[in-house]
Amino acid sequence: MTLGGLALRNLARNRFRVVLTSLGVAIAIVAFLLLRTVIWAWASGAEFAAKDRVVTRHKVTFVMSLPKRYVEDVRNAPHVKAVTWASWFGGKDPKHDREFFAALAVDAATYFSVYDEMKVPPEQMDTWKHDRQGAIVGDVLAKKMGWKVGDKVILESGIYPGDWQFNVDAIYDATARSVDRSTFVFHWDYINDALAPERRDSVGWIVSRVDEPGRVADIGVELDRLFEDRDTPTLSQDERSFNASFLAMFSSILKAMDVMSAVILVIMMLILGNTIAMGVRERTSEYGVLLAIGFLPRHIVLWIVGESLALGVLGGVLGIALAWPIINLGFGRFVEENMGGFFPYFRLETANMLLGLSLAALLGAGASMLPAWQASKLRVVDAVRRVA
Amino acid sequence: MIPFSYSVRSLAVRKATTIATASGIALVVFVLAASMMLRAGIKKTMAMSGKPDNAIVLRMGSDAELGSVIDESSVPLILAAPGVKADERGQPLGTSEIVVVGAMEKLGASGVTNVSIRGVGDDVTRFRPEVHVIEGRPPRPGTDEAMVGSRIRGRIRGVDLEQSFDLKKNRPVKVVGVFDAGGAAYESEVWVDRDLLRQAYGRQGIVSSVRVRLDSATKFDTFRAGVENDKRLGLQAMRESTFYEKQSEGAAIFVGALGTVVSVFFAIGAMIGAMITMYAAVANRQREIGTLRALGFSRTSVLVAFLLEAVLLAVVGGAVGALASTAMAFVHPSMVNPASWSEIVFSFDPTPQVLAFALVFAGGMGLLGGLFPAARAANTSPLKAIRG
Repeated sequence: MTLGGLALRNLARNRFRVVLTSLGVAIAIVAFLLLRTVIWAWASGAEFAAKDRVVTRHKVTFVMSLPKRYVEDVRNAPHVKAVTWASWFGGKDPKHDREFFAALAVDAATYFSVYDEMKVPPEQMDTWKHDRQGAIVGDVLAKKMGWKVGDKVILESGIYPGDWQFNVDAIYDATARSVDRSTFVFHWDYINDALAPERRDSVGWIVSRVDEPGRVADIGVELDRLFEDRDTPTLSQDERSFNASFLAMFSSILKAMDVMSAVILVIMMLILGNTIAMGVRERTSEYGVLLAIGFLPRHIVLWIVGESLALGVLGGVLGIALAWPIINLGFGRFVEENMGGFFPYFRLETANMLLGLSLAALLGAGASMLPAWQASKLRVVDAVRRVA
Repeated sequence: MIPFSYSVRSLAVRKATTIATASGIALVVFVLAASMMLRAGIKKTMAMSGKPDNAIVLRMGSDAELGSVIDESSVPLILAAPGVKADERGQPLGTSEIVVVGAMEKLGASGVTNVSIRGVGDDVTRFRPEVHVIEGRPPRPGTDEAMVGSRIRGRIRGVDLEQSFDLKKNRPVKVVGVFDAGGAAYESEVWVDRDLLRQAYGRQGIVSSVRVRLDSATKFDTFRAGVENDKRLGLQAMRESTFYEKQSEGAAIFVGALGTVVSVFFAIGAMIGAMITMYAAVANRQREIGTLRALGFSRTSVLVAFLLEAVLLAVVGGAVGALASTAMAFVHPSMVNPASWSEIVFSFDPTPQVLAFALVFAGGMGLLGGLFPAARAANTSPLKAIRG
C-alpha cells in the first residue's frame, strides 16, 4: 500500500463523519457557487457587451432626452458605420402591473441592424416594419406574459400618458448572452406622432456602430466634442463601459456578496479543520506507534494533509453535483424569466465550477495545516502514552 | 438530573473544537443578523420619510417622483382640495417640488452615480419641520446655493460644505448648508432652489409632485376623491407612507430574499458542523456516558445534558456573531434604489428583535444539530460502554 493510499483508507475509518463533513462542505460549495453565479451573471452584461457600439446620451441625467437632429450629426461623424436611436417607454401591462420589463420605442428602419444579435424571423420582421402599432417581444417575456404573435396588447406608461395599443408582430431570440430576452420593442414614430408638438422629436439615446472597435473610446470623445457647445451636451460611452457604469451603481451589493462568499469558505474550512483535528486527536497513539517503528514526521503530515485534501475534493464534487441542478434547472430559469433585465443569462459556468472545486481542495489542504503541524511535533513517548 | 456545569465543562475541556464550531455558528449568525439589520434600516428610513397624515400627488401611472410631470397650473387646485390642513395664517399646508437625478462622480469609488436633486420652494421647512440645518446655513431663496443631506455629503464630488458642483455646464451651485431630516430618505438628497433647477433642466412650468398635510390621516379618502375625480388633471394621490413603502419594497425584498437564501445555506452548513462536533463528543465519551447511566442517571437526563451542551455551544457562537454584527451600525452602505434610480444611503438598524431572533436562531441550530448525537448518547447501553 502506498502512503497516499493509506491516507485515503484513513477516510473510511469513520464513514459517518466523512459523510457529514463532505455534506457540510458540499452545502458550503453550493452557497458559494450560487453567490458567484449571481456576481458573474450580473457582471456578464458588461463582459459580453458588443465592443463596437457607442451609446450617446444626455450628459447630466438619463431622465432627459436628446434632440432628434443629433442623430444626423452622429451619422455623419467619422468612423460611424450605422446609427439608431431609442427612447425609454417605461411600460407595464395593467393586467400584470407588478411585472417589470423594458419597453423601448425604437427606429424601425435601423434598430435591428445595429442590434444584430437580436434575431427576428424575416417574415415577422417584414410585418412589423409595415405595422405602425407593431411590437417585437423577447421570447422570455412572451412566454411569461402568455403573448403570441397576432395578440393585441395594451400598455400603460409612466412617461407617456394614456393607454397604448400594440400588436405583437414578432418574437425575437438572442444569439449573444448579454441580450435581455424580456424587452418590448416598438415603433418610435408611433409615440412621437401622438405627442404634443413641443415634446416631439426627442430621443432617449443614440447608438452607433463604429468601424474600429479598438478606438471606440476615442470615437466617443469625438462625438461628445460635436455637441459640447450645443444646448444639450452629451456623454458617449462604449457599451462595455456603459454597462460597467450601470453595475457600479450597485457595487455595494456586489461587494456584500463577495464578502459573503468569503465567509462561507471560512465556515467550510472550520468544519473541515475540525473534523481533521478530531481524527488526529483520536489517532495520536497510533502516530506514536508509527513513529516508533520508523515512519518520519513528514509521512504523518502527508497522511493528514492527503486525507483532508481528499475530503475537500469529495465535498467539492458533491457540492457541484448539487449546485448544477439547483442553479441551472431551478434558480436560473426563475431568475432569467423574472429578472432578465439584470440577469439575462443565469447559469453555472464551468469556470465557476472549477473555481469551487479547486477552492474546496485548497481549503481542505489548508484546514489540515494546523493539526498536521501539531502531529509532526509529537514525541513518541508522549504520543504512545496519551489516552485519546 | 446531570448538573448544568457538566455540559459547560465538557465544552471547556475541548477548547479547539468548541472554538471552531462556535466560530462557524458566529459567522452564520453575523450574516443573518446583518441582513436583517439592513432590511430593518431600509424600512426605518422609509417609515421616517412617509408620514401618515401627509399625502403626495403624482401624475397618474407614475410610481416615482422622477417620471411624474404635473402642470404648475394644477398646483392651486390640489392645494384647494378638501381635507388639506391650513396653517395659522389660513394658507393650505402643502409644497410642490421638482425632482431630477444628476449623474455625479462618486468619491472613493470609480464611476458615476445618480443623485436625487430636489428643487424646493422657500417654504420647505414650514412643511417639513423635521428638516434642520446642522452645519452652515440654509440657502438664500432664488440664488445658486444648495444644501445637502447629511448622509450624502462627502460621498459625491462637490457635494459637501463650501464645495460646488455643476447643475449644468457652467452653472456651478455652491453648497452652503448640510441638513438632517430625522433619518428620512431626504438625507440622501441635494436640495436647490426650485426655479433654479427648473431653469437648468429646461422644465419651466412643471413640478414632479405636490405634497399636502391633511387635517387628519382619516381625511385621506376625501382628499383623494377631490384630486382624482377631475379626470382632466390625470393625477393620483397616495398616502406619503404608502408611497415610501413602495419605494423601498424592491430593495427590502431583494435584501430579505438574498439574506434568507444565504442564511439558510450557511445555517445548514454550520448545523452539520455542530453535529459532527457533538457526534465526536459522544463517541469520545462512551465510557463516561456509560458510567453516568450505570450510576442511575436516566436516558432523559443524558439526552438533556447533551442537548444543553449543543445549544450552549451554538448560543455562545450566536452571541459572538450577534455582538459583532452590531458593529455594522457604523457602516453606511449606499446603492442606487431601483425604484427612484438614485443613490440612497442605508444604515444597519440593530433592533432588539433582530438580536433576539439571531440568538434564538443560533439556539435552534444547536438544538437541531445536537438532537441526533444526544439521542445516540441517551441510547448508550451502560454495560457495553463500560466494557469498551
